[in-house]
Amino acid sequence: MIKIEDIARPADRLTEIVPERMVPLPPPYDGVDALPPRKRLTDRARANCDCSLDGFLAVGMTRPKTEEEEQQLIKRFIAGLDRLLSPDDNWAFLQQLTLSLDHCARCQTCVEACPIYTASGRNEVYRPTFRSELFRRIVNKYAKRGGKLLAKLKGEDIEVNATTILRLLESAYRCTLCRRCAQACPMGVDNALLTREIRKLFSMELSIAPKELHENGSVMQLRVGSSTGLKPRVVKDTIEFLDDEIREQTGLNIHTPWDKPGADVLLIHNAGEINAWPENPMAFAIILEAAGISWTMSSDLAGYDSVNYGLWYDDAQFARVAVRQVQAAKKLGVKKIVLGECGHAHKASMVTADRLLPKDLDIPRESSMTFLRDIVLSGRLKLDPARNAFPVTLHDPCNMVRMMGIVKPQRDILKAICPQFREMAPHGVENYCCGGGSGFAVMSAFNFEDWRFLVAGRTKLKQILEAFEDCPDPETKKYVCAPCSNCKGQFRDLFNYYGVWKKSGILYGGLVELIVNAMTDLQKPYIKWEFH
Amino acid sequence: MDVFVWRGIEVPVDDDGFIQEPDRWNPDMASALAATDGVEKLTPDHWKVIDYIRAYYKENDIAPMVRRICKETQLNLRQIFDLFPSGPAKGACKVAGLPKPTGCV
Repeated sequence: MIKIEDIARPADRLTEIVPERMVPLPPPYDGVDALPPRKRLTDRARANCDCSLDGFLAVGMTRPKTEEEEQQLIKRFIAGLDRLLSPDDNWAFLQQLTLSLDHCARCQTCVEACPIYTASGRNEVYRPTFRSELFRRIVNKYAKRGGKLLAKLKGEDIEVNATTILRLLESAYRCTLCRRCAQACPMGVDNALLTREIRKLFSMELSIAPKELHENGSVMQLRVGSSTGLKPRVVKDTIEFLDDEIREQTGLNIHTPWDKPGADVLLIHNAGEINAWPENPMAFAIILEAAGISWTMSSDLAGYDSVNYGLWYDDAQFARVAVRQVQAAKKLGVKKIVLGECGHAHKASMVTADRLLPKDLDIPRESSMTFLRDIVLSGRLKLDPARNAFPVTLHDPCNMVRMMGIVKPQRDILKAICPQFREMAPHGVENYCCGGGSGFAVMSAFNFEDWRFLVAGRTKLKQILEAFEDCPDPETKKYVCAPCSNCKGQFRDLFNYYGVWKKSGILYGGLVELIVNAMTDLQKPYIKWEFH
Repeated sequence: MDVFVWRGIEVPVDDDGFIQEPDRWNPDMASALAATDGVEKLTPDHWKVIDYIRAYYKENDIAPMVRRICKETQLNLRQIFDLFPSGPAKGACKVAGLPKPTGCV
């Protein structure tokens, strides 16, 4: 059994993923031979980074090359710990951090709630309390008075060296921040928050963060307007193209309103939808127009991209983006922001931003789930559920259900328009993460994708297959409704990896596509049964 | 940074083999990049896609959405996937010498 103090001891591999030991998937996904070959780390990655946690790399921080560099790293890391625990520096999360550090009763109630730990075959390194306890020991020894002596007396010694630091960093990217463990904890300890604070320490104190989240994520968003690289001119041009697509596909004449002062609603999509799943923003436009909503989109910097990757790793980046988004709404004088189908944007804008927005930037923010429920149940759209005569299940984005309690509205909609709707088990606030949470769906450097599909997405895939076990035939087309871009990205890649579209005929998509598919104003079905 | 070596020229690529500097791409290099993705020979249809993606990128600093590619080249989604088995983003963009798409796409 791996012990926490083993983290500091250099070894080729602390643990590894053995598919045979993992939770089995139902047939025809039970054979391990049929899996795509594992991606090999490049020689350069092996030479420069530390992949000794579990053989995978998500961040791939460069290993210090000299004794002096190592000492420098340790010094900066410990200084970062001090700042993480200081009220002046950790203005957003100090209280939650301290509570979660101080109140774990070590009862291990939470561990069985973790889909990564259980799917992995209960690999010790992925136990949610393993990472937390490691971090707690480090904090207690290096950031508290008399810590070094107490660590020895209590038998909780831990050495902080380069190996410890590099493995701790990678370990912080083996948790999707789904908070299922936090929900199970009788004390209210939040292991996901601890994980996120570890990521923050690395980003804000050591300038280490996954490239996809920082450089190509929040930095890109603040520079260009969107992490996708869509500039204001290009996003407007793209939406205009999609308005034309709506006309060609449905005959409906829609001109998406841009920067309309005084509109009731500013709709902010995850801009990834616009580029990768344009049928989603198109469906929103169709619904809002048909329901007679006064709405607009904003072409201001970050005003058309609801993502806020800082939520996962950095408070300063988070604040910069959150303020921009609200400023875009304030400038137009809209009554409220409605957030499109993006889970982390819900939490970022509707929960976490409340910690930092000054009074004058406060503006009502609403989930598209309640907003759409009100439209659908109002009877303003002519809907025929018979048009959705195929099996549908609902994937709950963690940030909507567990974080925010938005559980019923999306179900009210599905029950009204999908006669073959069936729940997954478990669902709602007990749901399982798609495995792409906390930025994983956009992270694919090194060999991280293999880990994401083999381990992180495993529980969800099993659950989806079980939801459709009465109709496994690939000829029976089935739909996983996933009202979240990040989850959709994970499903696309996960389904590709296991060949789910071919073997089981399961498609994924958003909620608005199902609503539009049921609209009797449309001559032809809106949903195209092609996998992309 | 890894490098992609082509006829003695070293071009920096990311972990997924995407060229980091689109200006250093040239049409001859495309076949070699395609080979890394399991595409044996580039046909005129491949080139229709590559040329369009590059032209769009040059103007907009971003790869075009798949719908645009289909419309512009008159190829449907299935044909695009037949041409580039890794898909338009991971396959076609890589062969066309664009950096890897970013954000939630």
